[in-house]
Amino acid sequence: MRKRLLLVVTLLGLSTYVLGQNKQLLYDFAEIPQSLIINPGVESDFKWYTGVPMLSGVSLQAGSSGISANDIFADDGLDINDKIRDRAIFGMNPRDELSGTYQIELLNIGFRGADPDLFYSMGIYHEGDAIGYWFQDYAILAYEGNADRLNQEFDLGHLKTRGEAMNVFHFGANKRMGDKMTVGARAKIYSSIFDFNSTKNKGFFVTTEGQNNILATTLDADMRLRTSGLNELSDAEEDGTIGSTFLKRGFFGGNLGLGLDLGFTYHLNEQTVITASLLDLGFIYHTNDVKSYTLDGNATIEGVEVILPDALSDPDRDFWQDLVDEVEAFVPFEDNTKSYINFRPTKLYGSVRYDFGERLPSRVDCDCGTAIRGGNLRAKYANSVGGQLYMINRPRGPQAALTAFYLRRLGNVAAIKATYTIDKFSTSNVGLGLNLQAGPVNMYILADNLLAYRNIAASRYASFQLGLNIISWGKK
Amino acid sequence: MVRFKKIVVLPVLMLLVVSSCIEEQNFDQIDDLELLPTVEASILYVEAPERVINLVPSGNFFGQDFNFDGFSSSIFSDRVEDGSITYLVENTTSKDLNITVEFLDENNAVLDTETFPVQAAPSMILEREIVYGPGGRPIDIIRNSSGIRVTAVNLGDDTSVSTLPDPMVTLKSSGKFRVRLR
Repeated sequence: MRKRLLLVVTLLGLSTYVLGQNKQLLYDFAEIPQSLIINPGVESDFKWYTGVPMLSGVSLQAGSSGISANDIFADDGLDINDKIRDRAIFGMNPRDELSGTYQIELLNIGFRGADPDLFYSMGIYHEGDAIGYWFQDYAILAYEGNADRLNQEFDLGHLKTRGEAMNVFHFGANKRMGDKMTVGARAKIYSSIFDFNSTKNKGFFVTTEGQNNILATTLDADMRLRTSGLNELSDAEEDGTIGSTFLKRGFFGGNLGLGLDLGFTYHLNEQTVITASLLDLGFIYHTNDVKSYTLDGNATIEGVEVILPDALSDPDRDFWQDLVDEVEAFVPFEDNTKSYINFRPTKLYGSVRYDFGERLPSRVDCDCGTAIRGGNLRAKYANSVGGQLYMINRPRGPQAALTAFYLRRLGNVAAIKATYTIDKFSTSNVGLGLNLQAGPVNMYILADNLLAYRNIAASRYASFQLGLNIISWGKK
Repeated sequence: MVRFKKIVVLPVLMLLVVSSCIEEQNFDQIDDLELLPTVEASILYVEAPERVINLVPSGNFFGQDFNFDGFSSSIFSDRVEDGSITYLVENTTSKDLNITVEFLDENNAVLDTETFPVQAAPSMILEREIVYGPGGRPIDIIRNSSGIRVTAVNLGDDTSVSTLPDPMVTLKSSGKFRVRLR
């Protein structure tokens, strides 16, 4: 139990500044094949590549925008109840969130077509993510209750959460259109393993002065929780078949959806480049193992009310049960198995890059040296500097992040990318990425929020990505 | 490659390793966490117009047991720590009345009794707060209550009518309790 608590707390502590799924270090890091996953229009010069299954495209991010483990568990002599009251209950707001995401590649291969300007990539990756916004009014109710809070409406809309796990099957094409433009697109089939979302809740709970009795308690609710796959997984856990059920649902045995990624890279001039990508324009249609719950209606009660002479008409009347029945009739809690569509959280990346310094010799099978090949392939420069924009569509509206970066290529064997990212959660997120190329073996590791390593427990955000690939640029 | 490792990678990794640390955390504090909200709501409202009181010859004009599972449901009874019940009795009739509220267990045994002698109008609203738990009556009264008996006795005549508009006697009540969630 203690270990489980520690795990939860560590995840919370590793977390916080939620950047959603911002992969600012990987974006436009063209030496890494996985950069094609977040911009299908990146400039790639590979002949072919393959990711090592389960060791390529590994990423994990966790964050919480309002609190860290250190805020609560620091051995500072303060009463934990005071810390929770001041720093969590009243220190956070409903826009604060706790979220996490992970991704791992099961298969990722890419190859250049007969047309050297065309590059294809395809594969399967598994991903999961969840986000929960701080349910402040529920927390106040649970921590302090409704007493002495006359007329204070507790907002039921503070419950806003979603999460899912799925396998994504994808196929992308990347094409150089002359020497200035590269475009790309990626088609995706989502195979959802499970999904839950409760993001459109409305209503309130309030205690007011009663008309007859001392107090009136009102519940006005329009709440909905939609799930798919959870019942089957729950049953499978009891049957001891959770692994095979998870696998089956991830390989077209669950719910399916379609998606599209688009991207491009464009040279404004020899050294100035703009890029953009739009990811996960898509949806999942949940029809299999769907279970949804609703609480919809409103009721005001003032306790058991006995008004004579009407109350005398039936001496066996159960006033308490009548009250319970009345509330259940006015605010019914129901479930259904109706299908639903869930749109994917769409992401947008954009960047401006300026290349400068020494031109690097090409690894491509050509006699081009440091010169630009006669075709559409461009040489790389030793340095790049620029800015990136990231946006993601979230239940409480879009979130954005701005990144400044510097990329340094050390010959063709290594490249380092440093980033500084600012968003609504953080102004001190410094990241560092390292890509190493040893012959055909490519390895990369990217990590964010490095300044937080001064005290990991106080960190509100952590992210890392790593991968191992085999790459060929053709025979030289 | 070797030069690169020496110049860049190793220093960066060493810097991270050396500089990364964690302040002392005490996860045992979670054992001290208390979730003890105070909840309040109305309990029972009884209203008897004077014309109804006059229908019954002097004496006990109303007496009824009410099922009240709000206290005995395990989600409440297992967690309630202490609290209070507030009563407001208002009499605008022309008679002195005596109202009794009793809490009953599941066998209809009386666990607690509260009596409200109220004077004929014009009279003040009678307000009374009964504390349960430390410093008050045993909280087990609340935990074990599954019914409420209300008895009302007319201490006056059965013909007079108050000159106040819509004369009646009302009993209002609400509870405020601390409930331990953790």
